[in-house]
Amino acid sequence: MIDLMLTVLASSDGPPVWLLAAGPAGAVATYWALYRYYRNTDKSHAFERDTLIEAKPVQGGREKIDHISRTRMSSIDGDNSRKHRARVQRLR
Amino acid sequence: MTHDAQPPGEKRSSPFDGPPLSLEEELAAARAEPEPGPDIATVNEALADGVNRCPKCGSTDVRLRGSTGNLVCLFCRNEWQESRVEEEFGLGEGIDELQGTVIAGGARDISADAGDVITMKCGGCGAEVVVDTAHAMNARCHWCRHTLNVNQQTSNGAVPDAVLPFRLTHAEAVERIREFASKRRLFAHPRFKKEFVPENVLGVYLPYLVIDARAEAAYTGRGEVQTRRWTEKKGDNTVTYYSADVFRVDRSVSFTVDDLTIEGAADRANFDSSTTNNIINTILPFDTKNAVQWNSSYLVGFTSEKRDLDVDGLHPVLEDQLLSIGRSQVEGSLREFDRGVRWEQEQLDVGGSRWVSMYLPVWLYSYQQESTGMLHYIAVNARTGETMGSVPVSQWRLVLAAMTVGTVLEGIAGFLLVAWS
Repeated sequence: MIDLMLTVLASSDGPPVWLLAAGPAGAVATYWALYRYYRNTDKSHAFERDTLIEAKPVQGGREKIDHISRTRMSSIDGDNSRKHRARVQRLR
Repeated sequence: MTHDAQPPGEKRSSPFDGPPLSLEEELAAARAEPEPGPDIATVNEALADGVNRCPKCGSTDVRLRGSTGNLVCLFCRNEWQESRVEEEFGLGEGIDELQGTVIAGGARDISADAGDVITMKCGGCGAEVVVDTAHAMNARCHWCRHTLNVNQQTSNGAVPDAVLPFRLTHAEAVERIREFASKRRLFAHPRFKKEFVPENVLGVYLPYLVIDARAEAAYTGRGEVQTRRWTEKKGDNTVTYYSADVFRVDRSVSFTVDDLTIEGAADRANFDSSTTNNIINTILPFDTKNAVQWNSSYLVGFTSEKRDLDVDGLHPVLEDQLLSIGRSQVEGSLREFDRGVRWEQEQLDVGGSRWVSMYLPVWLYSYQQESTGMLHYIAVNARTGETMGSVPVSQWRLVLAAMTVGTVLEGIAGFLLVAWS
């Protein structure tokens, strides 16, 4: 959706009208940044980093299953490799 | 000296234990094995219940001396400390050999019928003194002024296995809270600023469960590796395209965690947006290796909150955190997938875990915002000094600042557009 909007905005022949979004976007970003600085709603204990952990070497492998020959997406859909606390289907 | 854990008014005669049993049932009951004790017995045998005396002069006027972390007798100034549980009970050892769930005496299940209020018989004069263990573990005998202490591990969860004494003094905590709030004055709620009195900060021992665990986590998902990147002309613009190989990725890792700390009180473990409990969670971790064997004299002058969560109920929290730790451990092995990895399934096998309950020290400044009813905390870790807080904001000031920034940016954007055309 965002890609489509950017394409529409960028493909017009005139000046880049998306610049007009800078005002509202800046206002929202300022509000959110200040709110978070005061309320710290996003903070929690970083137990993944601040706990004494002793791990054995990581095991595993990879197997090629497909090829994407042409896409406009610069990264995989739903990348959660850094979202350690986002749970996925649990196998029992 | 005696201890009476019965609620006030309860008769001492043997209670009525139901209708008479059949002979077979009576015999089976007689042959029954005694109830198993705790996996790790952490009762401080050196203490009798009720009166903690100075080992030198026998006075009961004992409290924590914050600057040294020792107990001090206010009568003869003798200082001493309890032994560290890490060495006393071997808590740092054998994590990679843990099997099943090992629970220390103070972390055992809380009895549903156990009350908070217990009655103690004063060892000095024999008077009966009531202690509400939901908030305090000491009381003064109103007749002879002995300090009475709850040391026995009661079934209401009030006495943990260990306590980590306060290190930061009240003055240091006030200074840190003042510094934290002074950086957030401009957009703070006017009423908060007007009513801000950091000297009202309270020292609280909060209940936590400190866990050693051995686990193996496994993950499967998809990863992509970019094979080509090119641009194509579309009218006046260029569009970037990519091609990539898609892989099925699997990873597994075995690991141990030492002293993972989770909240032992349900009120504190609720992190939804209607609370600011995440603030207290953020000041973790504590130097739990320095926790000492329970002695309620460490709590004199402070308040405490009782543990009300059992190990069984906290297993899902432990598993969730272990899965997150496993994910962070395997992240470093994913660099080849330059377009990222999407984990789709995960599996956890907890080989063994060891649970110890502790009281950990927090300086807590709380402020209830009347307009929203929300309770805001500024919390200071009373060991490391880490400070975190939630300061209520003045919404109109925040909106005004946001609109000012937005207007300036819009003005610049308008200027650029005019210049462009």
